[in-house]
Formats: sequence, C-alpha cells, structure tokens
Amino acid sequence: MYITPVISVSNLRKKFKSFELNIPLLNIPKGFATALIGENGAGKSTFINILAGIRLDYKGDINYFDGEENEEIIRENIGYTGPGNYFMPHWNISQIAIASKILFDQFNKDKFFEICNTLGINLSGTDGNNKSFSKLSDGMKMKVVLANVFARETKMLLLDEPASPLDPLMREKLCEMLREYLNEGNGEKSILFSTHNIADMENVTDYAVIMEKGRIAEQGFVEDLKEKYILVKGEAEDLYKVKDILASFQKNSYGFEGICFADNIERLAGLNISKEIPSLSQISLAVMKKYTQLL
Amino acid sequence: MNLLRIIQNSGVPIYQQIAGQFRENILTGKYKQGEFLPSIRGLAKDLRISVITTMKAYEELEKQGLVTAVQGKGYYINAQDSDMLKEQHMRKMEEHLLNAISAARIAGIQSSELIDVLKMLLETEDNLN
Repeated sequence: MYITPVISVSNLRKKFKSFELNIPLLNIPKGFATALIGENGAGKSTFINILAGIRLDYKGDINYFDGEENEEIIRENIGYTGPGNYFMPHWNISQIAIASKILFDQFNKDKFFEICNTLGINLSGTDGNNKSFSKLSDGMKMKVVLANVFARETKMLLLDEPASPLDPLMREKLCEMLREYLNEGNGEKSILFSTHNIADMENVTDYAVIMEKGRIAEQGFVEDLKEKYILVKGEAEDLYKVKDILASFQKNSYGFEGICFADNIERLAGLNISKEIPSLSQISLAVMKKYTQLL
Repeated sequence: MNLLRIIQNSGVPIYQQIAGQFRENILTGKYKQGEFLPSIRGLAKDLRISVITTMKAYEELEKQGLVTAVQGKGYYINAQDSDMLKEQHMRKMEEHLLNAISAARIAGIQSSELIDVLKMLLETEDNLN
C-alpha cells in the first residue's frame, strides 16, 4: 500500500499554562478519512485550529499538499468547520452565500443552496423572509456550515466535532457525504475530523489518531488497530491471571471484559477466555485509560 | 454483480468477508478476465464502510493472485484459466491431505491404514453420486 501524506506535521509544540500540545511527527494520509479521538481537553481543537491556520502561535513545521507554500492556495483548498460562529448573526442564507463567494473563489452558490435543500435546512422564517443565522438551532447552524464547506472545491476538510450537534439521522447523512467526498476525490481528497461519537463515525474512519493530554497515544489504520488489539471476555476468577496484560478492563460479578495486545495472545492459552475483534470505540477507550495511567 | 453481504461483529474481519465474496465470484466466473473491480472509494461508499477496509480486501485478492493492481486505474481480474483453477483446487486439496496426515501421525495411524481410509471414503462418495 503506497500512501503519501496530505499534511505532515513535525515537532509541533504549543505551550499553555497547564497543558502542552506536543506532536513530534504525524502524517495525515492522503485520500482517507482520519479521526482525531480524545477526551475533552486532549488538544484536538487546538491541533485542528493550528492546522486550519486559525492559531498561528506555535512552534514546529507543517507541510501541506506536497510542499505547497502559497498560503492562499492552501487556504482555498482547505474546508474548515468548528464550533465557533462564522457568520454575522443577522445574516440570512443568501447573505451567507454572498459573503462566502467573496471569501472563496471556488465557492459554488448553486451547490450551496442545493445542499441546504437536501439537508432540510429551513430557509424561510415566519415573516416570509429568510431566517437569520442566529435564529437557527445548533444542529441547523452546523448543517449550514457543512453545506457551506461542501459547496466549495477543496482538497482537505478539517472538521472539528462535526457530528456533535447533529441528530442520528443527520450523522448518518454526514458519513455519507464524507464518503462521497472521498469517492469524488479518487485519492486526492482527504478528511480530518475530531469526534466524541466514535461509534457513529467508525464506518467512515480509515485512520485513527488517539490523543491524550496533548500527545498522540496511539495512531494507525483502523484495520491494523483491530489486529493489534483484542477484546477478551472471561470469568471473574481468571482475571488475576491476565490482569497485567490488559490495557483496560471492566469487571462485574459474572465476569470481566478487557482489551489486550494481540502480541500477548499466548498468555491466554488454556484459559476459558473468548476473543473478539474490538470496535474502534473500545480500542480508543482502552488506549485513553491506559495512557492516563502512564502519565 | 452479486450482492455483497457484510455481517458486523461476526468475528470475521469485514475485509476478509468482502475478499472472500469477491474471490468466490471471480473463481466461479461471475467476473470476466480483464474486468475492473469497483473503485475502492466507490465500493466503500456503496457498502457504507471505510475506505481502508475495501482497500485491504482488494490487497488480499491481489495477494491471492486473483487481481492485479494498476497504478492510478484500479484492480482488474486476472485470467482464471482452467489450469490455474485446477492448480488452486489442487493446492487446497493438498493442504487438507496434509492436515489428515498430521492428524494420523498424532494418533499413531500407519500410512497404509490412512490410505485404506481414504479409499473407503472415496468408494462411499462414489456410491452416493
């Protein structure tokens, strides 16, 4: 498998009073969807903001699109969405479209309205005029922001918690749109998104970066991670025999469930312990718990 | 194309399920030689799974010699001539026979006895057909 990075980060550091973002090396694979997973305060948003050019006060190198140095080209090719407000509160959909066209050459107004329509964004208010952005619900605001980004011709999406304000149906729709974006790009378009809803986003995640306290605790292609870790279940009395090889476990009076490294599988021989392929959320939780203990 | 069935949480990795079903379709001739497999990202979109999963499935098929990857174009089906099919079944058969031999060795069964059992099984099978 020949994989090149779309963005490559080296020696990235950003110090805060009580926390430091420290990423010695990270290559975000081109043509894939990468999920940034981690607790609140793990540094996900800080990292995305740095990549999106919102935060400029950091140390380190970021290489975009195979060494592209023209900032304007980089900006034009990156679609960012996040939790903040982008549009003036009193703007309605049409005004948002006009402003976006001024900001980005590749913004396609017709496509924007078309996506708004398919996402069921209610354009008209009670008085017959278009509703202003501030009057929309959180979910609706996110839909407008996403429609705005998908209406542009971009090579990379940086989405900070896109799924959080969305209802389950819309989350599925979002996954569909992300897959469509990758398919359209045919290997040239990439996505990085952060999420707490790992389970909802798992089947659109190719590469996972699990962050904890400003550092990368684990990263890899999801298929590889699923071979690296094993979900084990067994009887409570056997727990003490395997406890030391489990990255994390839960126990109740009937038995235990935990995640262990596939390398340690020999240690389970002869025990009445079942082995399963873990889901990405199970792996992420185990890695986060394990990493917290180490620090 | 045949319907692809994916079973979540079946214990069999999804990429293996996909590779297995493609393999069956290729070996039974449902895919023609030279035909291209669906694009990696297109299939991921249709099956609602991640790109890396379909990619891994296709790489599995490539490893098995069923398809060839062309840079920038995708994966096409290799010639599945009858010799090659026979060869593949031959390999499979040998593998099973080797399993039988090792089981016989463990149980201390003589070679002649093993051959007798095989003959007997063949006869029963022939009578059934």
